[in-house]
Amino acid sequence: MLSAYRALLYLYPREFRREFGDDMVALLREQRADEGTARVAGRLVLDLVTTVPSSHLEAHMSRASAPTLAVVLVALAVVFAVVGGPFGLVVAVAALAVATVTWRRSQPIVADASGGRWWKFLAGGVGLLVTLIVVTTITGELPEGGWFVAMTAMFTSFALIATGIVLGIASRFRTA
Amino acid sequence: MKQLPAASMHLVLALLDGELHGYALMRRVEELSDGSVRMGPGTLYGTINRLLADGLIVETTDAKDRADDDERRRYYELTPNGRAVAIAEATRLRNLVHRVAGHLPRIAPA
Repeated sequence: MLSAYRALLYLYPREFRREFGDDMVALLREQRADEGTARVAGRLVLDLVTTVPSSHLEAHMSRASAPTLAVVLVALAVVFAVVGGPFGLVVAVAALAVATVTWRRSQPIVADASGGRWWKFLAGGVGLLVTLIVVTTITGELPEGGWFVAMTAMFTSFALIATGIVLGIASRFRTA
Repeated sequence: MKQLPAASMHLVLALLDGELHGYALMRRVEELSDGSVRMGPGTLYGTINRLLADGLIVETTDAKDRADDDERRRYYELTPNGRAVAIAEATRLRNLVHRVAGHLPRIAPA
């Protein structure tokens, strides 16, 4: 049974297996000695079925990349909402929901959490938008390449503002 | 505070009394839950991995002399933040039980 389990550990992500593989086999050995093979085997199958997919999901969605993913999703939501019509609005709402969940998942767990960092997104977005307005007002007519940069900056500022608003509302509900 | 997933909550509460190695941690969870929570190796070490990444627990294997432990076991204990989270979680659960008990007249007194 132990050698079979050791082979099944290859179903887990490599990093996880390297870090905890030996400990998992040792734990199973102790469990089997205490409870018997039959009782442990049934639970082990359920354990594998539930933890292998989640460990792969966690390995691919690292906490460091989650905030970036949240911003990209909000940017996509803004683009879909602006140019996608009714269908685009549905996609935008779905993207905002996923962004909120992704963001929440990435947040560190602390006992005295209060408010989060939503206002930084809001301030950043407003700051970028104001800067863009000031620059385009001063420079006047933009060259052809400048329009692309200006539009990108404008959509980014909208995305940051929308992210700030969504996260601010989410943090209100969380602390209520 | 972001609510802990069930498995994480059980582990941080089990570590409130001090450091434990994997198997002892699993048995402590079982004991605290009156036998209703039995973790397999994947659940236990998956949760330990998550708690380590969140900075709620830390490995203490090399921090102390383990002369009495003939096996090379890895020990874990709560960080200060992990302890604060565990206490907050225990308080939340106590308050929840307290409120619910008031609405259940037939509940047996503790």
